[in-house]
Amino acid sequence: MHWLIVASLLAANPDPAAPSEGATPEEKKKLEEEIAKELGAQPQPTAPGQPAGATGRPSPPQADPGQLGGSPFARLLLLPDISAVGSAALAWNRLDVEALSPRGDPFAPAHTLQPIFQELELGVQAVVDPYARADVFLAFSEEGAEVEEAYLTTLGLPFWFQVRAGKLFAPFGRLNQQHPHTFDFVDRPLALARLLSVESLGGPGLDVAWLAPTPWFAELHLGYQALKPGFEESSRNAGVARLAQFFDVGEASTLGVGVSAARMDEGSGAWRDLLGGDLYLKIRSPRSRSYLALQGEVVARRLSGLTVAEAEGEEPAVDPNGTEWGGYVQAVWRQSSFFAYGARYERAPGAAGGPENRVSALATWLPSEFQRLRLQVSYDRLPGGQDGLEALLHVEFSIGAHGAHPF
Amino acid sequence: MKTHIIALCLIAFAPSSSSAALKVVTTTEGLASLAREVGGDKVEVASLSRGTQDPHFVEANPNLAVKLRQADLLVDVGLDLEVGWLAPLVNQSRNPNIQPTGSRRLVASNFVRVRDVPTGPVDRSMGDLHAAGNPHFISDPRAAEAVADGMAAKLAQIDPGNKPYYEQRVVDFKRRLGDDLVRWKTVLEPLRGRKIVARHQTMSYFLAWTGLVAAGFLEPKPGITPPPSHLAEIVRIVQAQGVKAILVENYYDTRSADVVARHTGAKVVLIPGDVGGVPQADSYEHYIDALVKLISDAVR
Repeated sequence: MHWLIVASLLAANPDPAAPSEGATPEEKKKLEEEIAKELGAQPQPTAPGQPAGATGRPSPPQADPGQLGGSPFARLLLLPDISAVGSAALAWNRLDVEALSPRGDPFAPAHTLQPIFQELELGVQAVVDPYARADVFLAFSEEGAEVEEAYLTTLGLPFWFQVRAGKLFAPFGRLNQQHPHTFDFVDRPLALARLLSVESLGGPGLDVAWLAPTPWFAELHLGYQALKPGFEESSRNAGVARLAQFFDVGEASTLGVGVSAARMDEGSGAWRDLLGGDLYLKIRSPRSRSYLALQGEVVARRLSGLTVAEAEGEEPAVDPNGTEWGGYVQAVWRQSSFFAYGARYERAPGAAGGPENRVSALATWLPSEFQRLRLQVSYDRLPGGQDGLEALLHVEFSIGAHGAHPF
Repeated sequence: MKTHIIALCLIAFAPSSSSAALKVVTTTEGLASLAREVGGDKVEVASLSRGTQDPHFVEANPNLAVKLRQADLLVDVGLDLEVGWLAPLVNQSRNPNIQPTGSRRLVASNFVRVRDVPTGPVDRSMGDLHAAGNPHFISDPRAAEAVADGMAAKLAQIDPGNKPYYEQRVVDFKRRLGDDLVRWKTVLEPLRGRKIVARHQTMSYFLAWTGLVAAGFLEPKPGITPPPSHLAEIVRIVQAQGVKAILVENYYDTRSADVVARHTGAKVVLIPGDVGGVPQADSYEHYIDALVKLISDAVR
């Protein structure tokens, strides 16, 4: 075990070179310990190698003549990045989706062309202090306003740990952690809505992520959160785990592979277990804006220890101690900066049991980096054999300083 | 047994504290070439993007965060050039020192006299413009000198034992560049005032240095694809002013440039956007050599 600790220390030493001003690291460490003793404190483990006052923004080489009265823009400089992402849709459905195919994303009453305001997401993001940053996303919709996410992220914990704490989307699967305005398709796959959560599966808690010291990207997440699964109104405490890895496949492709698991306490000895696997392959020549992205996820949910009466509240209807599964595969071809096309197949547990299948086609027009217009046409086939077309015309815009999204 | 195996794996991936070379990671190949000039064999340099890539649209591939994890220094261009991809990588890297204000972060544009800084109100109706100013300074050797000076000072601060080495390397680099500047000037001086059309405002610094003049831009506004009406206007300008060359970085689509060329007889010149943009541009000097040759041949 001691080996492990020693090796971890070696691996995590973030600052192997760079003795400052002739002092050896040992001398520096000794002095640090002496000072810590004098102050009656432990040496600070965080933010190594960051001398006080070092800003990384050296002043230009020319002499600074100073400025009368200081900067009038100081308040502006300290403002967080503020952004708004708005989305609205025109929906048409042949089936009575509300009764037959429950979901959260925009849909219309049967045979009605329905305008829908989907959401306005307000993002407020900034670095808090030298140790953490904060990201806040507020969602405004016809139902009201809610804090979608609001969490702190550590910037420099030792041993390549990173902790997020606050209200956050659970680190389960690929799409669940993304905000809807980064989805390629207009709506969430039915399987994720029914087996994970009608909105993104998320809630208060913390997520500890460790970046493994491998030459490729391998990140292990362990989370403890209060989550509202499926269409439930109340939350349950849950443990979540995820391993996400990315591999470069040649010059032009990146492959992402993830496995996730979650266990939620349903009370009175009952449990809800979730297991998921996801794959993502992006093929893009470095000198081109065009790319092909293939993506798929499978999610299985098992309920155990529920009584028949408790299971009645579940939607879709479930066997009190059964396992349901679903998933999707999709391909998106970004033809140019302006156009993208996609196809998706989904399988989800139907509202009345049995598998529901849906296929969708997508066309996207992006006049600029800051807005897109999408047309999604789907064909939904319910377990009983009922089927119907659905269409969504969706517009989305983004204004302000919105942070870049992870891959 | 298990713990022994894990420990051995960790040791295998541990940074060897005996290897003296500082790990310098840059966002572009141009900055990487300058870091190599200044750092010599005391640094190990890696670039997050390729010279053949549009630096505005690099993928935020998490494997790049792995490169940043143990970086002793991150050098970025700044001025929001990398705004679409660098922040998530820095965040994923867990390296506290390369955060935007960290002690191991060097923003190259801090050493450059920045051009095209908007002086009036700015909004996105003006296109996807760089609100802090034009970040495409790598094509001006005078800017490269300033950045090299900044890098030498930073490397000397991080690695004071090799301060004289870095100082000597930057002096040598600037002396060679000084000789090159004389050579480039003899080629460029007679061409001063000649007009070109460029695709994007990537050439501002090169034009200011060489005295060539942009008669127009294929993009009506930064990042906005030209509508036919704008291209018709460019065709008129090219004909009226006798423009001979349309400069397009080789990572851009050439359809708009080809249309203008077809209607005017001007030549589309595919230029490297950075060091590494064409095979022969394998160092900073060779990159400027390639630019000067391609462009001077076309406008002569």
